[in-house]
Amino acid sequence: MGLMTPDEVVQVIRSEFGEAVKASEVKGVETRMNVDRAKSYEILSRLKEMGFEYLNCLSAVDWIASGELEAVYNLSSLKEPTKALIRVRAPREDPVIRSVVALWSTADWHEREAYDLMGIRFDGHPDLRRILTSEDWVGHPLRKDYKDERLVPYEPF
Amino acid sequence: MIPPETEIIERTQETMEEMYVNMGPQHPSTHGVLRLMLRLDGEVVTEVTTYIGYLHRCHEKIGENRTYIQIIPYTDRLDYLASMYNNFGYVLAVERLMGLQVPERAEYMRVILAELQRIASHLIWMGTFGLDLGNFTIFMYCFREREKILDLFESVSGQRLNYAFYRIGGMPMDLPQTFLTDCKAFLEWFKPRLPEYDAVMTDNVIFQKRVQGLGKLDQKIAIDYAISGPMLRGSGMKWDLRRNDPYSIYDRFEFDIPVGTAGDVWDRYMVRRLEMAESVKIVEQALRDLPPGEIMGKVPKKLKPPVGDIYSRVESPRGELGFYIVSDGSEKPYRYKVRSPAFVNLSVLPEIGPGHLIADMVAILGSIDIVLGEVDR
Repeated sequence: MGLMTPDEVVQVIRSEFGEAVKASEVKGVETRMNVDRAKSYEILSRLKEMGFEYLNCLSAVDWIASGELEAVYNLSSLKEPTKALIRVRAPREDPVIRSVVALWSTADWHEREAYDLMGIRFDGHPDLRRILTSEDWVGHPLRKDYKDERLVPYEPF
Repeated sequence: MIPPETEIIERTQETMEEMYVNMGPQHPSTHGVLRLMLRLDGEVVTEVTTYIGYLHRCHEKIGENRTYIQIIPYTDRLDYLASMYNNFGYVLAVERLMGLQVPERAEYMRVILAELQRIASHLIWMGTFGLDLGNFTIFMYCFREREKILDLFESVSGQRLNYAFYRIGGMPMDLPQTFLTDCKAFLEWFKPRLPEYDAVMTDNVIFQKRVQGLGKLDQKIAIDYAISGPMLRGSGMKWDLRRNDPYSIYDRFEFDIPVGTAGDVWDRYMVRRLEMAESVKIVEQALRDLPPGEIMGKVPKKLKPPVGDIYSRVESPRGELGFYIVSDGSEKPYRYKVRSPAFVNLSVLPEIGPGHLIADMVAILGSIDIVLGEVDR
C-alpha cells in the first residue's frame, strides 16, 4: 500500500484532530503542520502509523518575540519520498512538550540536546540529562537571551 | 587446551564481580574525545553509557551570529574528514532556501570533489579501523592513497584539510589546468589498489573471523534509531539519498548501492569497501561529462533568503547530513541546526554494544565511523 499524498495526510490529520492542527501547508512532497502541544504526541503517533517511520531530525527554535519555544520534527518514509515537518510550540514559562522517545528511539539524544541547549523539557523522556554541555552548566546556551561573559557578539566591520 | 570462547565467558561470569571501566575520553580507539562507561561482567560488556560533548564548540550558536557566507568555513570543522561534503550540504541547503540555480560546470565540479572526498573519508576509516584491530599495514596503504587525494584537493583549493571551497550559487574558482589529467591518473592508479586492500584485509581469515557476527544491528532497530549511511545499508536497507532523494546532479550517474545482509561489523566494512569503487565510477563519469562554462551562478551581493525554513539533507560519507535553517529575512540565519549522521549513528551504541567483549567494543565502535567534531559540533 502506497503512502498518502501530502494533501491526504493533511486531510486525515485535520479530520481526526480538528482544532489541534493550527495551520497546515503543502510544499512539494512535504506536509507542514503547526500542531497544538496537548495533542502533539497523538498526531505524531498517527503519522508514524501512516508510514512516516523515520525521524530525520528534531530541532528546537527560540521564538523570543512571541515568548515561545518550538520543537520541529522532520519525518520521512524509507519507502517513498513523502516528508513531513511538524511544529509544536510551548510558552517559555512552561516549556513542556511530550516526549516521542516511545515512538522513535532516535528522539532520545535529539530531545536531550534540545533540553540542554534550548531548555525544552520533554515530558516522559526516560533520561533527560544534559548531553553536550557539562552536567553543572547553568542556562540554555542556544536561547536568544542567553548571557555569558565569554560570549563575544560578532560585529561586522 | 583452550576451551571455546563461550565457555570462557560462562566461567568468568561465575567467578567475577561486576565492575565499571571508563573508556576514554583519551582512549586511542575512541577516535577523539568520546567517553564510554562500560559495565563489565568479567570481560563481557553488559551496559554501555555514552558521554559526549567534550568537543562542543557552539557551532550552531556561532552560525546564528554569522552571515550565510561566513558559515561555510565553520562547516568544514564539523566532519573534518569530509570537509567538502559539509560545504556541499550547507550550500545546497541555502540554495534550496533561496531558490538559486547552480551552473552545470559547478555541479559537476561539486560531485567530483565530493566523491573524491568520500573515497578519502572511507580510506581514513578503513585505515584506522585496521589499526584498531591490529592491522598496521592497511593503515599505511590507506593513508598513502589519501595523501594523493589531498594533493588533488590542494591543487584545487590550496588547502589540505579544511577547504571552504563551495560557495552559495556555485564554486569560487575553476579547476586548475592540470586537474583533469592528475585526477584521471590518480583514478587509474587507485583502482588496482582496491584489490590490494582485499589481500591485506578483506580476504584475511583472521580479520573475517574477528568481525563477522559482531555488533549486529537489526534493520528495525536501525530505522527506529534513524541510522543512516553505510550503517543502514549494512543492515540490508537499500537507502542512499544520492539515489532515493537525488540532489545536485546525482541522478545522471550510474552507480550501485552496496548493501549488507546481517548488519554486523563485517557488513559495514564491506559496504564502505565497495562504496569506494562506486565513487570511482561516479568520478570517472563526471570527468567524462564535465562541461565548460560558468562556475558561479547569479547570486545577489547580500544574501538575504526569504522568511521561511528548510530541512535539506545529503548523503555524506557517514550518512544523512541534514541542515535545518530558519530564515527571518535577514542576512544571518535565525536558527541553524546541523543534523549530523555520526551523532545519530552513535546513539545506537548502547543497543548493539552489550554482550560483547571489551576488545570487540573497539571494533563495533570503529565500525560506526564517528568523527567527534561532528558528534559534538
